[in-house]
Amino acid sequence: MAEVVLKKVGKAFGDIIVIRDVDLDIAHGDFVVFVGPSGCGKSTLLRLIAGLEDITSGELFIDGAKVNDALPSQRGIAMVFQSYALYPHMTVYENLAFGLKLAKTDKEAIDKRVREAARILQIDHLLDRKPRALSGGQRQRVAIGRAITREPKVFLFDEPLSNLDAALRVQTRLEIARLKDQLGATMIYVTHDQVEAMTLADRIVVLNQGRVEQVGSPLELYTRPRNVFVAGFIGSPKMNLLKGAVEAVAPESMTVRLPGGTKVTVPLAKDAQNLQPGTGVTLGVRPEDVGMATNGMAKITGRVLVVERLGSESYLYVRTEGDQTVVVRRGPGATAKADEPITLGLPGSASHVFGPDGLALSRAVPAAA
Amino acid sequence: MKARKIIGSTLFYLLVTAIVVYTIFPFYWAIVSSLKEGSALYKVDFLPPKPEWGNYTAIFKEQPFGKNILNSLVVAVSVVVISLALSVTASYALGRINFRGRTPLLLIVLSVSMFPQVAVLSGMFELVSWLGIYDRLWSLSLSYMILTLPFTTWVLTTFMRELPKELEEAALVDGAKPLTIITKVFLPLLGPAMATTGLLAFIAAWNEFMFAITFTLSNERRTVPVAIALISGASRFELPWGRVMAASVIVTVPLVILVLIFQRRIVSGLTAGAVKG
Repeated sequence: MAEVVLKKVGKAFGDIIVIRDVDLDIAHGDFVVFVGPSGCGKSTLLRLIAGLEDITSGELFIDGAKVNDALPSQRGIAMVFQSYALYPHMTVYENLAFGLKLAKTDKEAIDKRVREAARILQIDHLLDRKPRALSGGQRQRVAIGRAITREPKVFLFDEPLSNLDAALRVQTRLEIARLKDQLGATMIYVTHDQVEAMTLADRIVVLNQGRVEQVGSPLELYTRPRNVFVAGFIGSPKMNLLKGAVEAVAPESMTVRLPGGTKVTVPLAKDAQNLQPGTGVTLGVRPEDVGMATNGMAKITGRVLVVERLGSESYLYVRTEGDQTVVVRRGPGATAKADEPITLGLPGSASHVFGPDGLALSRAVPAAA
Repeated sequence: MKARKIIGSTLFYLLVTAIVVYTIFPFYWAIVSSLKEGSALYKVDFLPPKPEWGNYTAIFKEQPFGKNILNSLVVAVSVVVISLALSVTASYALGRINFRGRTPLLLIVLSVSMFPQVAVLSGMFELVSWLGIYDRLWSLSLSYMILTLPFTTWVLTTFMRELPKELEEAALVDGAKPLTIITKVFLPLLGPAMATTGLLAFIAAWNEFMFAITFTLSNERRTVPVAIALISGASRFELPWGRVMAASVIVTVPLVILVLIFQRRIVSGLTAGAVKG
């Protein structure tokens, strides 16, 4: 049972606070992904768990033991670095065996574990090579193999795929997903790539400026973002966030008026009586939820700025009357052209409303498909 | 266009030839002179018509030149080994660990190498006689350290800084202690830097004259540069050029061989494959 628990963990470099009071429970066998924009502290948080940086405040427990002051090697972790960090003068075999050798494991056990790891990663035929004779993808596997041989309680990945080209990245991503099922260990993975986060994670931790914005399963974050930041960060292209004002508040819904006159009624789970009409709020709609102007949808008119055709789908960038940009997802055969006028439909039931503090007002509709 | 290219490459090779002649000619002349005896020395022959090896045998017969070479070797090797051992560990601290006063310390190390040798000579003499190692080879090993340590430390610190940080962190995660990191991870990567600085330290110690003549007294303890300077002829007024040249050739050869051996190690790109690149 290798759970990782962070209690009010903080980190400051001199006067600069990088991590602020992070509370986090990571269960055994969980695959947790830290995401966030660059500089949000996700890598620092990982390095705090690894023991490569000292924790300024708070407590860190791995497997029930407090490890604030433990050396990295004593924490039962293994780390895969962004730049692989293989020992260039050692063969692949020696790279995989180095940690075990230092731990004075006996030779046969080392050999068994190294060959097992090499077999899992399909690098058996490379064991005698030096890292410089390997391709990027092979180096990455050796780096992962080095982590596997240590049989850690917790695997830490620091943007392991960011140095690979696009095709290799997809392939390695699949292999990591397979590895996750095979090893069943706790894994913490840092990335800025949301596709990696969405596809690999059991749970995603969204970080911003050293704070945890939201923790949840990928779909939970996608369908029920807790605040404007998470709404804008998860999803690509990002959610349309339109400035508006409260028009009217009913017991189980709220009507938001956008500049330009469009009124959207969003069903809410709890009433938001405390918001007075006229209060500034943000309306969030995913590009795929913006539809054609049909019955029952609030209509919004505008002009097409750009059409992006990706083959499987098209994205329309529309400038609305209220001078805000809305991204719309359409099928591959979208007929819209740049500079054409267009009328869009905003579905109230699939929309999110964020109060003036940026927090989401809870929606009545459960996680829409 | 083509004519310009031809003129350009002609000039280039002329320059190369001039540089080669300028650097090689003295050594060539030393070899030629060492093969002549007596009045033949004063005739200009680009290839001695009748090579004489008498000078070479004479320096070993008439004085302890073999012993002198051995002394030089002992001193130079000990200086190289001790300087590298000290400066590798020092450079790990100076290059990889953040501590208060690191920059001043580096500057002090550098400033040590700024003092002219004469300035420290008398102080060093006091130290040597206080330690009771006057006229011992240790006195030279010790005093040469102030010539070699500053630059070996500086050069290795620079190299140490450029080694990827993640390599050290990977070793930390693997459970390596600092000394293991230095010896098992960094040392193999510092090979080219060690070869270069070690070679320079060796040459410095091999060629040093002033400390050597001050701290040694007996012929048996002299190092090669001093021994050569003190080679004397049959009479006070005769300078035995032939023997001096023979001795110079003998002591230059080990250096040439060392450089030839190590130049293959002094190649960059040993870290290739460590990190993406």
